[in-house]
Amino acid sequence: MTPATTEGLYLYAVTAGGAEGDLGTGIDDARLHRVSARDLAAVVHRHTSGPYGGADEDVRRRVVEHSEVVDRLWQAGAVLPVSFNVIVAGNAQAPARRQVAGWLDRHAPRLTARLDQVTGRGELQVEIGLEQHEAAAGDPRVLALRAELEERPAGVRRLMTKRLEQLERDATAALAGDLYPELRRRLVATAPDIAENRRMHPERGVVPVLGLSLLVPLDQVDQVGIELSRIRAELPAVRIRYVGPWPPYSFADLPGTTST
Amino acid sequence: MTEPSAAVAPPQHPQGGLVGPALQPTRDLGATLPDLLDALLDKGVYLDLDLIVTVAGIPLIGVNLRAAVAGVETMLEHGMMRGWDEQTRAWVRESLARNVPLSADEEVVARMPGGHRRDAPPGDWRPGTVYLTSRRLLVWRADPREMLWQAALEDIIGIDLRTERSVGGEDRDRLAVTTRAETALLSVAAPGRLMALLREHGPDAPTHAPELRAQVWYLEERRGAPAWRGGTGTLGPGGLTWQGAGDVSPAVRAREIRTVQVRRARTPVGRQVLLVSADEGTVRLATRDAAWARALTSSVHEHSGGDPCH
Repeated sequence: MTPATTEGLYLYAVTAGGAEGDLGTGIDDARLHRVSARDLAAVVHRHTSGPYGGADEDVRRRVVEHSEVVDRLWQAGAVLPVSFNVIVAGNAQAPARRQVAGWLDRHAPRLTARLDQVTGRGELQVEIGLEQHEAAAGDPRVLALRAELEERPAGVRRLMTKRLEQLERDATAALAGDLYPELRRRLVATAPDIAENRRMHPERGVVPVLGLSLLVPLDQVDQVGIELSRIRAELPAVRIRYVGPWPPYSFADLPGTTST
Repeated sequence: MTEPSAAVAPPQHPQGGLVGPALQPTRDLGATLPDLLDALLDKGVYLDLDLIVTVAGIPLIGVNLRAAVAGVETMLEHGMMRGWDEQTRAWVRESLARNVPLSADEEVVARMPGGHRRDAPPGDWRPGTVYLTSRRLLVWRADPREMLWQAALEDIIGIDLRTERSVGGEDRDRLAVTTRAETALLSVAAPGRLMALLREHGPDAPTHAPELRAQVWYLEERRGAPAWRGGTGTLGPGGLTWQGAGDVSPAVRAREIRTVQVRRARTPVGRQVLLVSADEGTVRLATRDAAWARALTSSVHEHSGGDPCH
């Protein structure tokens, strides 16, 4: 392993170079610096200890502090965000600063091209789900069971209610599968670049339909909102989670920069 | 769900009607923290430098860098620790040891959220974290601290996926782990992946033919008169089980079937009764599923070498 005694650099983001001025502070009030090469700069803090760990609460706070730095840089210009807890170590031959500068230099064409693609754009995260009671209200099997339920004594009704919920969930899941292609097509039409989010955060009783990250020009954010508004008007059972605009977290990967 | 506040004029529907104002996205941290954590632990630029100390909490020397974008949980779920050098693994071992009791030379191969279903009543699922280590498969609950279930790898004689309907109503693959003592049912975030890792890491964890399930009737001995009950019969590495519709747990478990005899008698599904003898006793079953009945008969050959009678 790399000698841990050498000073490392904690990375926040890659930005266009040339900018000067105070960057302020980052995680745990660490002072921020730029490491520049060609027309690029990495925003870093000097890091002598190991990786961040500890209680979830501390990690959460530091992730937020990391995101605040990235967000600040993004408000000022294009950024490629770096994941939390990426620390570049130095060694006797090359200090961390030279490692980072060398990396920027080697990948400058790709980094610059990617920065161009995200300039003036932000990431919007959209999650669409269906509330199962509403979505399945018209399903014939649900209607039949509901009618049957009315006529039953309370004890039986309780058992049947569970069955009803199950039926609603099944019907809603089928509907979600049917809706996905259409909703995806409509949202994709509002954004020049998209990424699918595997992880969704649906509330109880809501069946997820799709989760997308959209990379959208910042002056066109409302077009996504208008499309979502239309979708909501057409499909009253939809529940929409709509987050952003953010730095382009989902669009910072650089195909071809790994050695694998 | 976040219902963001609206602040702009209502747009026109293409057909002319009002559709309400454009939805406004939210940046409120209270609502977006889960998304932010996902984004920052799982996404972002990656660097092909040999000198990266960590990515998302994991020291990264000689790791497949494509994988490096993934967060710590993702990496552990994928069992990627194998690719790490000794010092890195020691670091991870140390940080994991704070959470789960491992012996000194025991290494975590993979870790993912999951749970164990208690065999004894009430037969409930107890959530925890499933660890595959170099020696054991275990389900550990951190708070309050308890080993919910564990088995040494060399004791595992069968692993299999079983599809079950979860409480939430979705079909879920459960991992059925058979040891000499029992068949344990585990829920895991990625059952297929864990099964693959188990096969790879278990000393000689065998692969079994998938379980065979069928609609099977069971003659339940009741006070007064026996009653035929409908349910699911399962044949697998753990032997035969039968679970009644609506039951939380199988009413019949026969690990090693001694004999299967076919008798003529009236059943809800024809005139053929399967008389199954095992160490646990003799049960009467009936099914229309001829393939299942054949498999039941042939399981006598496989497991005990006994002579099936017809």
